[in-house]
Amino acid sequence: MAYEVTMPRLGWTMEEGVFGEWLKQDGDEVQAGDLLFTVEGDKATQEVEVFEAGILRLSASAPAPGDVIPVGALLAYILQSGESMPAESSQAAPADSQPGQEGTVPQKAGVEPAGQKRLASQRVTADGRGTPAISPRARRVAAELGVDWTQLTGSGRTGRIVERDVRAAAETVVEPVGVDMSPVARRMAAEAGISPEELAAIRPGGRIQREDVEAAIAARRQPVPASETAAQVVAHSRIRQITAQRMAESARTTAPVTLTTEADATELVALREQLKSSYARRGLAVPSYNDIYLKLTAAALQEHPVLNASWGDEGINLHGEIHIGFAVETERGLLAPVLRNVPAKSLRQVAAESANLIEGAHQERLGSDAMQGGTFTITNLGMYGIDAFTPIINLPQAAILGIGRIVCKPAVHEGEVVPRQMVALSLTFDHRVVDGAPAARFLNTVREYVSEPVLWLTG
Amino acid sequence: MRELTYVEATLEALDSAMARDPSIFVVGEGIGERGGNFNTTVGLYEKYGPERLCDTPISERGFVGMCAGAAMTGTRPIVDFMFLDFILDAFGELVNQIAKMQYMSSGRLKMPILLRGAIGIGHSAATHHSGSYYPIFAHIPGFKVVVPAIPSDAKGLFATALQSDDPVLFLEHKSLLFNRGEVPEGDFTIPFGQARIAREGADCTVVAIGSMVDKAVTVCEKLAEDGVAAEVIDPRTIAPLDTATILESVHKTGRLLIVDETFQPCGVGAEIAAQVIDQGFDDLDAPIRRLNGAHVPTPYSPPLELAIVPEQDDIEQNIRDLLAE
Repeated sequence: MAYEVTMPRLGWTMEEGVFGEWLKQDGDEVQAGDLLFTVEGDKATQEVEVFEAGILRLSASAPAPGDVIPVGALLAYILQSGESMPAESSQAAPADSQPGQEGTVPQKAGVEPAGQKRLASQRVTADGRGTPAISPRARRVAAELGVDWTQLTGSGRTGRIVERDVRAAAETVVEPVGVDMSPVARRMAAEAGISPEELAAIRPGGRIQREDVEAAIAARRQPVPASETAAQVVAHSRIRQITAQRMAESARTTAPVTLTTEADATELVALREQLKSSYARRGLAVPSYNDIYLKLTAAALQEHPVLNASWGDEGINLHGEIHIGFAVETERGLLAPVLRNVPAKSLRQVAAESANLIEGAHQERLGSDAMQGGTFTITNLGMYGIDAFTPIINLPQAAILGIGRIVCKPAVHEGEVVPRQMVALSLTFDHRVVDGAPAARFLNTVREYVSEPVLWLTG
Repeated sequence: MRELTYVEATLEALDSAMARDPSIFVVGEGIGERGGNFNTTVGLYEKYGPERLCDTPISERGFVGMCAGAAMTGTRPIVDFMFLDFILDAFGELVNQIAKMQYMSSGRLKMPILLRGAIGIGHSAATHHSGSYYPIFAHIPGFKVVVPAIPSDAKGLFATALQSDDPVLFLEHKSLLFNRGEVPEGDFTIPFGQARIAREGADCTVVAIGSMVDKAVTVCEKLAEDGVAAEVIDPRTIAPLDTATILESVHKTGRLLIVDETFQPCGVGAEIAAQVIDQGFDDLDAPIRRLNGAHVPTPYSPPLELAIVPEQDDIEQNIRDLLAE
């Protein structure tokens, strides 16, 4: 079970503490007794140890240094391997609670149309308190006997329908009003707060059927303003929560700068066409543009290791290996599976592995390890017709490369204006980790590699 | 069957146990030669001598603490407080030592101590001699709290208390002590946590405690003439509390009244009501009602005293109101 790390009470009177810093990082493996974070007291900074071994995962509301945190507030989780973070503070859609309505409106399975609910709440009985009150027992007995209690008059002291009223109604099959209605129509009308008399006016002398009630409900619902019916809260999915947390944390903690440039992708397009036909002929996974960009980017990162880095409290972590994450849009949301050791793999291997990862992402069967450990990320919006954009850095990485669409347009090539296939490249880097000039040099290398892909793919 | 008074019934159980078990002894004020202010130990001094019927000075905290130590060594002390009000002078020993010792020793030490005393309002005993306080003890983990209402229950529950390894508060309402009732001869026990249905009925449930049980039964017999069939339940022990029997009854009747002489706020009635709402909500046909003694110090004046205790008229009115809900 996920173990909750909370703000400890360090003295009898302590109600909140100033969060110092994490002594372990998100994703670190911790042992019981390890020092996990610091809390700043009046005179000293206290180091707080963890009582459980596992993997530290910071919660969405993880504090930043200097935050004042109430005692007992959730800071992080200690998870066991394979365990995922519990959904935090599941913000259920706020109940549409109108005073006096709860428990007095007949509850149907599923969601009641807003208009119908609204109308039901307007129904007023003799005592002026809305639909009649009913005791829990009477409600239970009514359900057992199949009695529609909404039409009953209660004999309790305050007009409450009690058990005896329900039993009396069950014994005498009462027709509360002289309108001929089918049972379904009667129930629907009661729930919608439409009186039998009103329905009788629609179909004088005839038996009121379900359709008549539906028509009456529809007629009533029309005046309800759209703003009242449109209110909807989509509960946060796990992926939404994680994405929100990561993006917000990145936006809050990094110093992002985005550089854009344009590369001539004419040769790249030609190469892709060639690969397409020859790979397809042999029944191999055809490398996508993305796969080619992965290889080219990896080559550029080898050239500029300062971009294959991440921010650490102790210093800049320069990564020995190049693991590149790439953004995949799925029905559930954005995922970024990681392709490991890209330079060591041939384009054919990259194509096969990335196809696997993408399929896994769509089928919801990627483990969290398949999405961790990246040292750089690529995101491609070319298929959506986008040129340049400002991607958000995938923490704790130093940079992310955004790739736009390949578009044929006039360009100067060897001194002449000719139609060329051009692609926009957007590099967002964390200025804490790397400065503008090295980032620009890296992006320029990517641009060169994109324009001469064969050279670098075969190198 | 032969009849005994309530206090004679407990005395019979005590005498029998003391004859069998030499580790049982009684301490308290006037429980030796005098035989107890309420005759709780009459005749025992002659049989078992001053060592096992040990008169004490007025020093509740001292002799309660001493008995806690004695219980840990393997004896079975009975502390007879006469008026239970004076147990409050030993509250620290009770809550911090007696109730917790088994837990603190991981069960290595037992705490077979029986704490008895007369409770309740009546006879102009005034504010220092009329307390009941059992909701306070039922609130503390570790205590068994016993409130018998009739002589035979008093005997059977007293015998169970003398076999318990947990501390037991055995609370005897002053107005019940000299009530007579049929009591079986010989040794028998009644388990804790098992309510008694004092009267059966299907229209409403009345949970009555201690001295309220007889009053409730009398009222319900009278109401039966009007065609009202009320069920009266005597929980017999407050801790443990037999919620199953109460829930079973409410399932049948749908209506619940709790009658208790002790104060209403945070009381036994509140606990029973909460349990029924929690586990039997769909059985309730009306709001749960509570009838309690007034939330005031007990007055000396007889008319005022009468006014603060639930009497038969109050119970009848509450049942009628409950049925009209």
